[in-house]
Amino acid sequence: MERSRMKRFLFLSVPIVTGFLSAAAGPPQDWASLREASRNIRSVKGEFLQRRYLQILKEPLLSEGRFFFSTSGSLRWEYLRPLRSVMLQKGDSLQLYHFSEGVWKPEMTQAVESRRMVLAEISQWFQGRFDESKAFTHLYSPGPPARVILTPKEGINRFIHRIEIVLSARPGVIDRVEIEEPGGSRTSIEFRNMEINSSLPSEIFEKP
Amino acid sequence: MIRRKGLDICLLGFLALSVGCIPMAETTLSPGSPDDLPACYAIFPAGPWESVYKIEAIMAGGVSSSLLGVTRGEPSERSLHSLLLTPEGFILFDAELREGRIAVQKAVTPFDSPAFARGLMEDVTLLFLPPPGRPKTWGKEADGTRVCRWESPDGFRTEVRGSTDHGWRILRRDDRGEVTREVSLNGPFAQGLPFHLELRASKPASYRLRMTLLQPAP
Repeated sequence: MERSRMKRFLFLSVPIVTGFLSAAAGPPQDWASLREASRNIRSVKGEFLQRRYLQILKEPLLSEGRFFFSTSGSLRWEYLRPLRSVMLQKGDSLQLYHFSEGVWKPEMTQAVESRRMVLAEISQWFQGRFDESKAFTHLYSPGPPARVILTPKEGINRFIHRIEIVLSARPGVIDRVEIEEPGGSRTSIEFRNMEINSSLPSEIFEKP
Repeated sequence: MIRRKGLDICLLGFLALSVGCIPMAETTLSPGSPDDLPACYAIFPAGPWESVYKIEAIMAGGVSSSLLGVTRGEPSERSLHSLLLTPEGFILFDAELREGRIAVQKAVTPFDSPAFARGLMEDVTLLFLPPPGRPKTWGKEADGTRVCRWESPDGFRTEVRGSTDHGWRILRRDDRGEVTREVSLNGPFAQGLPFHLELRASKPASYRLRMTLLQPAP
C-alpha cells in the first residue's frame, strides 16, 4: 500500500512541483536561492503537454492540460485532452472529477489519500524547502540549457530512475521535465504560458 | 477463503453496475456456407495491433471512473498485453496473456487480486480476439442478421452477431445459457478496431465499460 502510494506520489508531484520551481525562480544556483525566490510568489498558472512513453506503444500517449496554484493552499491540476479530468484542492478538501456526456462527474478512485499526500508535499516544496527532501539527491547543471537533475535515493529508485528538469533561457521558466522509470517507460512534460502572480478567482479551486 | 473470494468479487466489481443477467435466447439460423466463415472473424483485428482507448467505467449507483486502456495484440499467437492507466498516466495494472496464461507485471491496490486480473484479461480477450477454433454454427437469422456461435469445452458460448448496417455485438453465455457479457461495437473501424465499444457485464459482478478509440496503430 505504501509502495503504491509512493509511486502515485512521485508521478503526480514531480511535474507539478518542478513547474512551480521553474516558475518561481531564475536558473537555480542552489536550493537556498529557490527558497528566496519563492517568497514573492502568490500564484502560478500554466499549461502543459505531457508525453507518456510506454514500451508497448510505438507512439507516446499525448495529454494536454493546465494548472493553477495559490500559496493560500489551493491547487487545480487539470487534463483537457484526451481524458478531461481535474483534481481540486482547497485547504484540506480534495475533489476529483472527470468530464463525461457533457457534465462533470465525481471520480471513483482509490487514490484520494495518495493525491492528498502529494498535494501536501507540494505545498511544502512550494515554500522552497526542496533541500529537505529525503527522497532525492539533486544536482544543478548550468548548461546551456540549465538543468536540475534529481536522483532518487534507495527505495524510491524502484519506481523512478531519474528526473531531469530542463530550464528555459528565459529566467524562471522551464522547457520540460523528463521522468525516467526503471524498465524504459518515461514521461516528458513541457510547460508553457506560465504566469506568475495572476489574479485567480477562488472558484477555480472549488468547481470543476 | 469465502471472505477472500468475496473480496475478489468486490475488486472485480470495482466497475459494478446493476444491469442483471440478460435473458436472451439463441435464435434459429439458416446455415451458412464455408464461404461465409471469414465474416465470423471480420470484427476482430487480423494482424498485430496496438490501441489506446478512453474508458469510462460505470459502477453501482452510477458512480464512474475515467481510465486509459492500452493494449497490444498478436492474434496469430493469441497474445495480449494490456495496461490500465489513470488520466495522469500512472499505471494501475499491467499484464500479459500468452498461451492462455496471465502474467501480471504490475498491479496496485485494488487491482492486484488474481480475480481482477483474470476478469480483465477475459474481457480484453472477448473484445479483441476471436474465440479459438471454428464456430460450431454460423448463418443468418430471418431478418438477415449474420450470426456465428462458438462453444468451448466448459460449455461457455460466444456469439458474434450483426451486420455492417446495424452494428455488431458479441455475446458471452455461461454453461446455463445466461448472457454474462454483451459487447456493442460501433464503427468506423480503424486498423480493425472499432471506434466505440461498450461492454456490459452481469456475472459475477455487474459493470459497464464505455470505450472510445483514441490511438490505433498497426
